[in-house]
Amino acid sequence: MKTKIKTMGTVLVSTAIMASMLAACGSGNNNSNNSSNASASPSTEASGNTNSGNTAEAKTPDTSKKVELTWYLLGDPAPDQQKVVAEWNKMLSADLNTTVKLNFTTWTDWQTKYNLLLASGEKVDMIFASSWADFYKFANQGAFMPLNDLLPTYAPTTWSSVSEQDWKEATVNDKIYAIPATYPEYTPDGLVYRDDWRQEFGLPEIKDVDSIEAYLDGVKKNKGVTPINGKAYNEVFTMFKASQGYQQIGGDSGVIVAKSYDTPRDIVAYPFTPEFEAWVKKMKTWSEKGFWKSDTLSDQKEAGDAIKTGQGAVYWRNAPGAGGFITGMEKSNPDIKLGYFPFSRFHNLTMPTLSVNNAMAIPKSAPNAERSLMVLDKLRNDPKYYDLMSYGLEGTDYSMDADGKHIVTPPAGVEAKDFKGYGIASWGYRVESMERVKQAGGWSGFDALLEEFKSQSKPNIFAQVIMDYAPVKSQQAAVNSVIQQYGMPLMMGLVPDVDKAIATYRKQLEAAGVNDVLKYVQEQANKSFDAQGLK
Amino acid sequence: MKIRMERATVVFNIMGYALITILTVLCLLPFLLIVSGSFTPEIQIISKGFSLIPETFSLDAYKAAFSNPKQILDGYKVTIFITVVGTAVGLFLTSMAGFVLSRKDFKYRDQLSFFIYLTTLFSGGLIPWYILITKHLDLKDTYMALIVPTLLSAWNIILMKNFMKSIPDSIVESAKIDGAGEFTIYLKLILPLSGPGLATIGLFMALGYWNDWFMANLFITSESHYPLQFLLYKILASAAVLKTNVAGNLSPTFQPPAETLKMAAAVIATGPIVFLYPFVQRFFVKGLTIGAVKG
Repeated sequence: MKTKIKTMGTVLVSTAIMASMLAACGSGNNNSNNSSNASASPSTEASGNTNSGNTAEAKTPDTSKKVELTWYLLGDPAPDQQKVVAEWNKMLSADLNTTVKLNFTTWTDWQTKYNLLLASGEKVDMIFASSWADFYKFANQGAFMPLNDLLPTYAPTTWSSVSEQDWKEATVNDKIYAIPATYPEYTPDGLVYRDDWRQEFGLPEIKDVDSIEAYLDGVKKNKGVTPINGKAYNEVFTMFKASQGYQQIGGDSGVIVAKSYDTPRDIVAYPFTPEFEAWVKKMKTWSEKGFWKSDTLSDQKEAGDAIKTGQGAVYWRNAPGAGGFITGMEKSNPDIKLGYFPFSRFHNLTMPTLSVNNAMAIPKSAPNAERSLMVLDKLRNDPKYYDLMSYGLEGTDYSMDADGKHIVTPPAGVEAKDFKGYGIASWGYRVESMERVKQAGGWSGFDALLEEFKSQSKPNIFAQVIMDYAPVKSQQAAVNSVIQQYGMPLMMGLVPDVDKAIATYRKQLEAAGVNDVLKYVQEQANKSFDAQGLK
Repeated sequence: MKIRMERATVVFNIMGYALITILTVLCLLPFLLIVSGSFTPEIQIISKGFSLIPETFSLDAYKAAFSNPKQILDGYKVTIFITVVGTAVGLFLTSMAGFVLSRKDFKYRDQLSFFIYLTTLFSGGLIPWYILITKHLDLKDTYMALIVPTLLSAWNIILMKNFMKSIPDSIVESAKIDGAGEFTIYLKLILPLSGPGLATIGLFMALGYWNDWFMANLFITSESHYPLQFLLYKILASAAVLKTNVAGNLSPTFQPPAETLKMAAAVIATGPIVFLYPFVQRFFVKGLTIGAVKG
């Protein structure tokens, strides 16, 4: 589980990196003279489309045949999902002569289910796709339908409104395989901490590793509270990566990292660096000072829960997650004041997530791809549809703000304690301009952070590296178990003799075949960087 | 007249009872922890951890679990339905197969046994199986998908066959002489004599159906068809996914269910099946040993 978490983390980070990098490339003069590449020319086609208003009508697709579509979303349905979908189908049959059977994978063993849906060739017309659900792998294997020819006709509004860069990120082997959500996000890791305690004890503003240490120390000494009270590995590991500027590749690359953003091809296994040695020695002192408990690796408690009860001070969250946590705490524990330190400040670098971090794709076996695209186009661009399928039924699930732009929950006339809240797995078709809820749960500090992230944003070059580890599968598994057994206690400073432990760790990694994995990652990364036109 | 016990026997009995008592308590403790956990306020679990006797008593978790009672009631209905139907049909088929295979005058007995036995060693794997059920049998999102795939198991057939072998052939012969057909023999003679075997296998199957969530996970898409265990697992799974980094991609308002809710859900889901044990226990022991000796 822990490795999985870490893997996911790495995937995310690298995705973010890659997306921002690509975005930068795209906004520059990325004059692709490869005219056969249809994905390179969406804006021209789109403008052509809008100019010829009358001819567009002639192109209006035929919807005379009634069609029932099957869609799959990744996640859980909301409690009153059926009512919402029934309403949606009413609108759809009037507008597009279509109904949709909306299915949810739920989170139970979702990887297996998702794989089966695609592998068995079931008749699914649209499915959630994402870089963290192996979009690139599936696209490469031909599980999705190429959309280049269909998009301009059947989803014209989406085709013209999604940026070239976003389409590019959804492109594999020159074909577009997904319709990315238009919802740029920055998800740098960071620490939520108790700012009221920092002020109370006159501790320094958190801005680097030293001030973090001073803060943890101050909390421990003055309050007698274990600052990271729960699972602390994520806190420490992400801090290590971020403070060194290490970037993981293609999602989770375990111990393999690029040494910095500026030198993406300088790829190493971090346990063999002197920086790692210095870091784990520092962590040993931190552990001795009692910044976390000695059973932290086996602890199942979230450090955030301890903050709620006043028994902890620090919790690892990515930026939107921190927003959700902080706003939640403002409601449940208004006396606790929290602050947030994003690790992106170590190097003043943020990478947006890839556009295909959340997307919708059409499986190859879809019987009605055209109609499905039309529905998606409507869903993404018609506020009536978008509101219904994102926020539920007006009056029951929300009511409109006075300005008519944002929604209020719970709706007028509904008691807060009876209110369930409508949550749907709408991530795959979110559009920022259509949103009526602010990112990060409406946390007041988020806008400033977002500005900060945008100003230092660079394209995400690492997330697009496609790796399935097939040639080095056994080595990778062995390396992962070595990380679990030797790497994690070392990272947490839970070993009696650090030097000896580092030597053992390195020896075990080599025996597990870390060099084969390294070579594989390097090859894949170089291939991808070549394709992205990086030096 | 009193039967005098020897000293050693008394000591042995005392020790035996003491040991069994301790073991029983050890087995009961985790369950007690779940029950008491479900009655503890959430905040207390976070700050102090689980305790055997809650300091303060709270029904919040059950209120939350039953705030949408339709879902849980539907879950119960589905689970009871598939358990009853699945076990009844499954027992019927298994016992028929066992009867046929136990008859010495059936010519292709060995070949058929081998054919059944082979499937325990080799199988087509998950994806072909999935394709068979969704595409060729077209069972997706039906109750049949919850019942059919686990209806017959090679292991149960073999167990049944071995059990029926212990019934003397002469019974079958005598019935034949009286003019009974094969099905009458099976229904009127063999089945009543196979009580313990049927109870054992029936309990296996009932437990299997009651606890199954995997079929629902793969094949069921409408919420009203979810069995109870799947509902429970769904709650836990969404809590687990929140702890991974996938959560960063999801909406920040996506809240995990409380610890206490998980406990309450576990109590709700396991409750009834626990009461099934005392009723079938006496068959259970006998049936198991018969299978073991012959197997």
